[in-house]
Amino acid sequence: MIERWALVSGLKGDLETYELIQRDLKKASGVTALFVLGDMVGPERNCDALLNRLQNPRRDELQPQCIYGWWEEQLLTEQGLRGEQKADALRLNQGEEAVTALLNAVDTYHLKWLSSLQFGFIELDCGLIHGSSADIGDNLTPETSPLILIDRLTRLDVNRLFTAHSTKQFHLELTGGGLDSQVKDLNGESQHQQRVSKQSIIGIGAGANYTIYDVGSDETHFLTVGGQYNTKGKGFA
Amino acid sequence: MKHAVISCLHANLAAVKAVLNDIDQKGISDITCLGDLVGYGPQPNEVVDLVRERDIASCQGCWDEDIIEGLNACECSYPSQLAEKRGHLAHEWTAEQLTDINKDFLASLPTSIRRDRILFVHGSPNSQHEYLLPDMNAFAALERVEKAGADTLFCGHTHQPYVRELKNGSIRVRLQNTSNHNAEEKEINLPMRKIVNAGSVGEPRHGSTNATYVIHDDVTGEVEIKEVAYDIGLTCQAIIDAGLPRIFAWRLSHGFEFAEQAEDASHVCER
Repeated sequence: MIERWALVSGLKGDLETYELIQRDLKKASGVTALFVLGDMVGPERNCDALLNRLQNPRRDELQPQCIYGWWEEQLLTEQGLRGEQKADALRLNQGEEAVTALLNAVDTYHLKWLSSLQFGFIELDCGLIHGSSADIGDNLTPETSPLILIDRLTRLDVNRLFTAHSTKQFHLELTGGGLDSQVKDLNGESQHQQRVSKQSIIGIGAGANYTIYDVGSDETHFLTVGGQYNTKGKGFA
Repeated sequence: MKHAVISCLHANLAAVKAVLNDIDQKGISDITCLGDLVGYGPQPNEVVDLVRERDIASCQGCWDEDIIEGLNACECSYPSQLAEKRGHLAHEWTAEQLTDINKDFLASLPTSIRRDRILFVHGSPNSQHEYLLPDMNAFAALERVEKAGADTLFCGHTHQPYVRELKNGSIRVRLQNTSNHNAEEKEINLPMRKIVNAGSVGEPRHGSTNATYVIHDDVTGEVEIKEVAYDIGLTCQAIIDAGLPRIFAWRLSHGFEFAEQAEDASHVCER
């Protein structure tokens, strides 16, 4: 059977949406893995039920593999469990009320599990990260300079980078091009042309918008809960 | 007009004096320093005093930062525990030796200096600890210069002088998203940019024992890499007299080092 992955992010405590995605995945054939790329928590609603479910999945559900996202980092930072600063980015962007709402949305019981989550996964030649290897809040979109996208792929040494922070669904392939490099040092001069490697950045969406990735054919399918196909992108089969 | 760029002085007074003398003899008065005034070498106060006396515009290097902020980089900066131990010894010794005035001076240094479309940094625009090696992925190297809004980026930190021109670049992309059912294709042409690494005055690692620096002509854009011989024995003896690890003297006298270069030079310490 061809392996397919489901990629989800930005649930922010929305158990109902998570259950709808799980229901969709039961109908989809060949989905063998469910990756939750962070932002499981957020300030809008109480997140405890979703967090309980992610940690204690039902037997008939795909077992979620979770990493932390921007909102988890803000929460853990504010709680003194990560770094030396407080949740300054959240405080700066959305004010003190958002910080308080986030703290109230997550029972401290879950902090140990949240702080145990990894920054990202490397599966086959794919990187699965909330933002990018440069920063968890890295907002990669189709409009991001391809130079930056190549830099993020290079840092991880992967051919495909699945990212979530922008909340957008897209499949951007680097299909060609090159760059001449001429180096002069005390030993003389050398020239080299670096070709663009065939690599992709895939935005997986957020909340009700999620992505299924077909490992065998390198196709991405952008969906919305209820099984609606938004579109699909074809990579390098 | 020509100006000289020096980097990585590393408390090696004999080397710094020789390089400044070479620059003076060429009639160049505009000098920029890319940091690491101290560390490893035996004369941190003398070198900082000289830079201050000459009023040389300087960036803060990773060693300068660590002396002020305390050891800030994780063990990833070193390839072995032995190398890390030696580095820490040099750090502690330098911190003890430096006067408060000179520490204040190092603390006051900016992480970058900008002159129009020319940017001067120690490591990279991202970090004083990032190595921009000459064989780094060309696109990633161009990204560093472009993101910094510069045409030419002067850096040091690797102790290997080079001039790298990045040109004739393009990237083709194909985009599929939820708003277009047919893939959109486009080609982006990349600008020409230059990275100049000034090498090291006080601890060369390019295969020769000579100090290195660069001269830049801001009219023609030409860059010359210069080598300057100095009295290595004088500095080596001072290293031993100061009680610093003898390997610091050994590698100065051999012109390269095999022990203190991080395995993953592109790694940027986040601590």
